[in-house]
Order: sequence, then structure tokens, then C-alpha cells
Amino acid sequence: MKLHNMFKKTKREKGEDLQNVERPEVPEGLLRKCNKCGKAILTEDVKNGYYICPKCHGYFRIHAYRRIEMIADADSFEEWDQGMEMVNPLNFPGYEKKLLQLQEKTDLQEAIVTGRITIGGYPAVIGVCDGRFLMASMGQVVGEKIARAVERATKLRLPVILFACSGGARMQEGIVSLMQMAKTSAALKRHSDAGQFYISVLTDPTTGGVTASFAMLGDVILAEPGALIGFAGPRVIEQTIGTRLPKGFQRSEFLLEHGFIDRIVEREELAETLRQLLKMHQDIRADQIRTAGHINDTENVASLKVAKRHWRDAETRSAWERVLLSRSKSRPSGKNYIEALFSDFTEFHGDRYYKDDPAVIGGIADFHGIPVTVIAQEKGRETKECVRHNFGMPSPEGYRKALRLMKQAEKFHRPVICFVDTPGAFCGLEAEERGQGEAIARNLFEMSSLKTPILSIMIGEGGSGGALAMAVADEVWMLENAVYSILSPEGFASILWKDSKRAPEAAEVMKLTAEDLKQIGVVERVIPEPAMDRLDREMCEFLSTYLAMTPEELVEKRYLRFRRM
Amino acid sequence: MIQKILIANRGEIAVRIIRACREMGIETVAVYSEADKEALHTQLADEAVCIGPVPSAESYLDMEKIISATMVSGADAIHPGFGFLSENDRFASLCEKCNIIFIGPSSEVIRKLGNKSEARNTMQKAGVPIIPGSHCPISDVREGAKVAEKTGYPVIVKAALGGGGKGMRVAAAPEEFEMAFRTAQKEAQMAFGDGTMYLEHFVQHPRHIEFQILADQFGNIVHLGERDCSVQRNHQKLIEESPSPALNDDLRAKMGKAAVAAAKAAGYTNAGTVEFLLEGNGSFYFMEMNTRIQVEHPVTEWVTGIDLIKEQIRIADGCPLSFRQSEIQFIGHAMECRINAENPDENFRPSPGTIIDLYLPGGKGVRIDSAIYSGCTVTPYYDSMLAKLIVHAGNRTEAIAKMQCALGEVIIEGIDTNVDYQYKILDHPDFQTGNIDVEFIEKIEKGQSPIR
Repeated sequence: MKLHNMFKKTKREKGEDLQNVERPEVPEGLLRKCNKCGKAILTEDVKNGYYICPKCHGYFRIHAYRRIEMIADADSFEEWDQGMEMVNPLNFPGYEKKLLQLQEKTDLQEAIVTGRITIGGYPAVIGVCDGRFLMASMGQVVGEKIARAVERATKLRLPVILFACSGGARMQEGIVSLMQMAKTSAALKRHSDAGQFYISVLTDPTTGGVTASFAMLGDVILAEPGALIGFAGPRVIEQTIGTRLPKGFQRSEFLLEHGFIDRIVEREELAETLRQLLKMHQDIRADQIRTAGHINDTENVASLKVAKRHWRDAETRSAWERVLLSRSKSRPSGKNYIEALFSDFTEFHGDRYYKDDPAVIGGIADFHGIPVTVIAQEKGRETKECVRHNFGMPSPEGYRKALRLMKQAEKFHRPVICFVDTPGAFCGLEAEERGQGEAIARNLFEMSSLKTPILSIMIGEGGSGGALAMAVADEVWMLENAVYSILSPEGFASILWKDSKRAPEAAEVMKLTAEDLKQIGVVERVIPEPAMDRLDREMCEFLSTYLAMTPEELVEKRYLRFRRM
Repeated sequence: MIQKILIANRGEIAVRIIRACREMGIETVAVYSEADKEALHTQLADEAVCIGPVPSAESYLDMEKIISATMVSGADAIHPGFGFLSENDRFASLCEKCNIIFIGPSSEVIRKLGNKSEARNTMQKAGVPIIPGSHCPISDVREGAKVAEKTGYPVIVKAALGGGGKGMRVAAAPEEFEMAFRTAQKEAQMAFGDGTMYLEHFVQHPRHIEFQILADQFGNIVHLGERDCSVQRNHQKLIEESPSPALNDDLRAKMGKAAVAAAKAAGYTNAGTVEFLLEGNGSFYFMEMNTRIQVEHPVTEWVTGIDLIKEQIRIADGCPLSFRQSEIQFIGHAMECRINAENPDENFRPSPGTIIDLYLPGGKGVRIDSAIYSGCTVTPYYDSMLAKLIVHAGNRTEAIAKMQCALGEVIIEGIDTNVDYQYKILDHPDFQTGNIDVEFIEKIEKGQSPIR
């Protein structure tokens, strides 16, 4: 049965509308339209909710001062160079008038606000672009304010945080605008050379000359979700190549996958992430290590329980048994060691060239009160996870990410701790195309003289060059059931004896167990399993010893370690 | 003068409100989701505005859309019904800001009464009885024993961070206290990592008794008697009746007075319900105040002869109450059964589908409030209530008989309903003698008190 137009409707006599009665009306500004999903939303909800659409979770652009309010400790902001005078280097007609109008309209002097703030008590120099002002394009004043803020930060030995949100160069200032790219980059280079920290935060949109200068130069690069980040604008690219661009192209998530940013951070968590990063970049000393600290509850790492039954009868185990054990899925993986031994692990992604390789995970973490750089090869456990981590076989970009993080550690005098667990470097077409050999070689080359302590711990399989590329260290330790070899026993047997089934036999003659390698002098220590408590103690010891050495001593010692082999 | 009302709801309550408006000569605007294009309320109203897709969060709960629909249709008031946005203080506040009459109390009152601890404090100050117990956290067993003594046994110990029955123990007498407290605390420590406890009097075998109140904008407050809603399954009411077989005139007067005092303390306007737990010994405790019209309001309408929806509209329009407490009389006995699209034999699994054939009973003393019709589709997206069957008779026994006759006539083909289940509950000797409490259905389901 259809009911359409079946019912009698109410008839109200017209004309009795009272004129003096106030009609319902939505007050100005109560509601607004989300420019992402187009839905009506309450302005108040947007303001109280970090300027995120409550309906589609789209991010609104934020005014510079609001941004500062959102992350800085209350009343900690001190503005610098506020009234810097406007310039018109090309005598561009109507430019001054345009600027004056914008100043009037936005209550801003120029497209960037700079100054000093504290976040959770940690001081920093900050610069925030404001898109309302000519799309925060970088003219001479913007470039100058950034350069001055950075120079001042270098002098004050303070970290710099720059929030990018910009269309790129300022057309009205032409070639002078282009020069700002070089100027800001140069100031940041000096800051970096002075050993100082710079965090770049990319927000929607970060394009053109800003992407190609200060935005991409952070020691750490963070981005807000869904932000457009790219050099050439999507429309320009489409016109040039004559094809439609895929969905999500040049968005934060795309950049993360392609290795250009460290993390995507939700706006609600930005202040805490920044605080954490600033805290981890305070100066460290060797005597700072707290030996009293405790390792995390390893009982909760489910995999450890499973592994425990393998930890009996260690004495009588054959080499082949150890090979099988080192490959066992129930062994703790790199991730488990990071979880158990460190706190506040902040993962950093990407090699800054091509991709983020999930076979290698790395970042900074707290170890007994000191910040360390932790890098681990990760195999994954369940099938899906394993596929994502490529079964722990790193691609060139994995090694390049590791090296990037090690260089970063060197800059900030952080010790590096590597957990090695790989069947070998990934053997595939793409890996060769992107230079697997070069990537491994580069790591051996650079690690040999890295001016900070490096400890490598073989926790499972130490598969040849793929393992060595993370093991040119001051000391190399092995868990008692880990193996480390020139290639797999199967490969060894098939090359020497043309029969891969003789792998167990090969394992015995290859001298690949921890105990054998210690005798040969390839590793310093063998850690009995379960290893967490022991590792924790011995890592403390290692750091106390090696952090006390000068960089020259360290490098010399490391050189000799490999020189004598 | 309210001339056009937008009904921010669906189903039978939307229909109920449209009918009241029509009688009063007020134009109506229905809002509907894409699933409700063919719904009765959509078709019955003078105008209907589609407010979005099926999920309630994007339609019936979307405040901005409902405000927009109000503006577009030119309505001057919104009736929120029950559920959805009816007790959302932010929505009420939004209406206030937009100069739309929200048919209900002020946003401030909704907010205050929605906050449990704040409401409890307000009531205590106004002398409305609340469950005695500790207002401050306790972590020491000896301190707890002292508080328990003062509170009066039996007592229940609850974890401050508790939930899901964990960290909760009842002590019937002082000698059980230490054991109960320690066990609950240990459980709380394990489950929530915190051993802070609260302690209150344990209300044994309570009945759910609620009082309907009406309050105008001039400070006049009356109560319209009680509803006994003790027949509940998983906190869902099944059968409601008025008067309650557990109340005599004295207790009714006492509880009614407390209900009025509660409304007064809250600064209440419009229709509201004060919920109490009633113990066997006649002690009663304030639970909460519902700031909306309730599903079971027809029961009260029938014994008092007052149209609650019309009163709501009049009060919102600024009219004073047209009757005093002394003028309210309670006549006969009314009872309501909720008919739901669910299968009691399969653990009350919802049963959406198309109603192929429909016959609903009528006659003297029988009322049906529903939004179903022959050929309509019951969707799985919203509440499963199909209809309310309300009867009125001279006394409780006659009302039960009438209800059973009426239930026996109900024909709803195409989907499963709980009609037979309701019939059996009415047949239960404990129900017939009125010997029930909130655990009544639970006992039946556990087989402790079998259905005949």
C-alpha cells in the first residue's frame, strides 16, 4: 500500500502571522560549511576541535596565531620582527596597495609569524606561515624573517620549528622571491652545521619554492594528514603530461610512502609530539644513564612466552638446529625488542629519496634516561605482516633510511643500537634498479667513521651483506641462537656440493653460530636467551663505556676492529 | 503563538506528535532519512524534509541538518520526541540561539540533570531521598566498615573506575563486609589498576517507579501520578502500568511530593519524569530525571485524561497550566505493552522485513500508537518498536484481561514479534498478583520462575 497524498493536511488560516514575533533565525557565524565535505557544521565545534571538521575529519587551515596558541605553553610566545617593513623589489604596480589591503584585512604584517615559544617547558624558535596572506608565498620579507629567526636560534642554541603552508614563490617579487629559497636554506645549513635541531611541519598546502627549500630540510619532517605537498602543482602536472593524476597523489600519505616525511601527526597530538621531540634532543652526557631503570614488562610480549620452550637444552643444540631456531616465527622480532627495552619510541620513516621500507624500522627512543637511535630489521609475524615487512629483506631504501637515521644520530651525538634479523638483502628487480649493492656499500663506508657509538645485536638471522650493512659497529653481539653467515646453509650447500638438501651439513662447517663466531672474533658477546634482562644490563654497560670516549677514539677503535679481520 | 512544528523524530512518537498538532491546528514538518521515505510520519505530516542518509548520525542526530530543515520549512518550534536529540543539551542550546522554541526544558536544565553527580547533589540539597552511601572515595577496609555501618546494610562496594560488574560486591551484613570489600578491591586493582572504592546502600529487589510531572514557565508544577515499569528485559521496559500495585495513597502522595520537589530544585519546565527505585519496605530513592516525553506516556494520559503532548506544546508556547494538583484525578487502571519486531525464541534477535498483513485490535479501552501499516517495511536501522498497545479498564485485573484479549487479536504477518511473549508474561501468576520487581524477567529467563 502506498500512502502518497492520502492524508488530509492541516489548513491554517493565512494572514494571522504576527509581525512583532521574532522569527527563528540562525545567528551570523553559528554555522559554517565545511570546505572539504560541504556539510553544515557548528563553528564552535570547529574551534573547540582543533579546526577539524567533526563530520568528515577534514583539516581546516589555521591562522598563524591560533597555531601558536595550539602548541605553545600559555603566554610563552614572544614575537620577533613583527613590524618588518614591506618591500617591492621589482616596483610591481599595485603591489604595495595590495599588501596594505591584506594587512588591513588579516591583521598580519606579512605571511609569516616568527618568535620564541616553549612547548612543555622546552624552548624553541618558531615560524608559522599564514595562508590568508597571498597564500603565504615567500617574498623577501618572509625569507628574511625566516633567515633571521634561524640565525638567532643558532646563536641561542635553540631548536627551530617551521610550519610550512605556502603556495611557493611570490610572483610580484619575481627573481628576488626565488633567492629566498637559497637564503633560507643557507641559514638552515649553518644551523645544522652548528649541531642544532630543526623540525619542519608541513600543512596544507606546501608547494613550489617552499617545498623546494626550507620545508624539506628538517632533521625531522612531520606532516598533517591529507595535506597537499609537492613541488609542481597537480594542475600544472596534469596539463604537462596530459593525464589525470591518481587519487591521493601528492598528499601527506603519498609522501610518507615515498619516504619524504618522517611521520603524519594528527593535529590533536602535534603539541605532544613536538614536546617529545624537543625533549629527546636535549644535550646528553655519558653519566646521565640511569642504571636504576627497569625494562618493560616482557611477560606481556606474547611471543616471548612461546619462545621460552626453545630456550632449554642450549648446550647440546646443533648448528642446524640453531639455524632453524633463528628463523622460527615464534622468536621475538625486532619490534618486540624495541618495545621491551626502550620507552617513548618515536618511529621515523623514509629514506628521503624514494620510499619508506617497512623491512627496516627506526627512530628515536629513551633508554634509561638517554635518547638513542634504534634501528631494527623487522620480519613480521602473521602472513599479512610478513608480506608488508617483506619477510625482513630490506630494499636499498631500507638501508638508506638506516643510514639517514645514523647520520642524524651522529649529528646529535646519540648512540645507535641496531637489531639485525634478516635472511638477506632483498633480491629482486627493483632492488637492483635502485642500487642494492651501492646502498649496502654506502652503509659500510659511512658507518665505519660515524662519530657516535654503534652497537649491533644479531637477534635472529644474520644474512650476509644484508646483515653487515647494519653491523659495522663498535661491538657486535649475538643471541645464543642467532646465526650470522656469508649466505644461507642451503645456498652454501648448493654452490659447493650442488645439493641444497645438505644444508644441515653445511651449517656445521660454516661456523655460523654465536659461539663459533665469538671464537673467530667476529662478535664480542654471546647473550644467553631469554635475553631481555641480560641485554638491558649489558647495553647500559656498553653505553657507559662508549659514550665516555671521544669521537676520534671511537672511530679509530672501530677502524681497527675491522682492520684486523 | 506556535504555528508550525518540526518533529525531529520518526516512528510512532512522530506520528503521535503530528496528530496532537493537527488537533491544535498547528502545521507539521516531518524530517526523514533516506530509509524513511515511505514511513508513516513522512507521509502524514503537512511537509516532509529529507535530512540525509540511513545512519542516524547523519540524519536524525545531525543537529545542523535539523536546524537547516527548520529554517527552510519556516517552522517556529521543534518537538524532539524521545531518543535521538531529545536530551541533548547542545541541541537545545542551538535552538535557543536560533530563536527556535525547543519543546522541552531549557538547555541548562538538560545539561544539569544529564550530569549524574550534579543531579544527585541537587536532589540531596532539595531533600529528595537518594541512595545513601559514600560521596568520597574509600581505600581502607576499616574506614569502609564505618561508612557501611552509617549507610545501612546491605551495602554494595563498587570500584571507582569500575564497569561491567567487575570490582563490585554486596555485603548483606557487617560480618560479610571485610571479605566483600577486600575481594572487590582486589578485583578492581587487577582490572583497573586502582583500588579506590565507593560504597552505597544496596537496594534489594527494587521496583522501577517513575512520576510524570508537568511544569509551566510560571513556576507551577504538578505530578500526574506514577508509572510502574518494573517489567524490564536488559533495562528495556516491556510493560508499563499506572497506578502501581505497590503504591497506596500515602506513598503516592509522598513520592509525588518528592517528584515535584525534584522538578522544582532543577528549575524544570515542560514535561518530565522523575525515576525512583522503590524497596519492599517502602523506602524510595531518586535515580534520575528524564527531560523528555517518554514512550509510556499514554498510560498516564489515560488515567488522568490529560493529553501530555498538547500540554508540552502549550507550556512551550508560554501558556500556564490549566489545572492544579488537586484537580488531577486518577481513574481506573491503564497498561501498555511494547510490541517489538524481534524473535523471543532466538534471543530477541531483531526481525526487520515487510509487513504483509496487518490487523490491529480496537474497541472500548483499547489504544494503539504505532507507525506501521500494511505493506510497510520495517528497517533494521532504528529502534525495533513497532507499536504500543495501551488498554484502560476499571481495575488492574480487568486491564490485564483486556490486554490479553487485545494481544490475542493482533495480526502482524511478515516479521516476527514479541506479541506471544507479552501474552505469556501477562499470564504469569506473579505478574497477575503484582508481585514483581526489576529482576522479574531475569528470573523467568533463568528458569527460576517459569512461564506457565
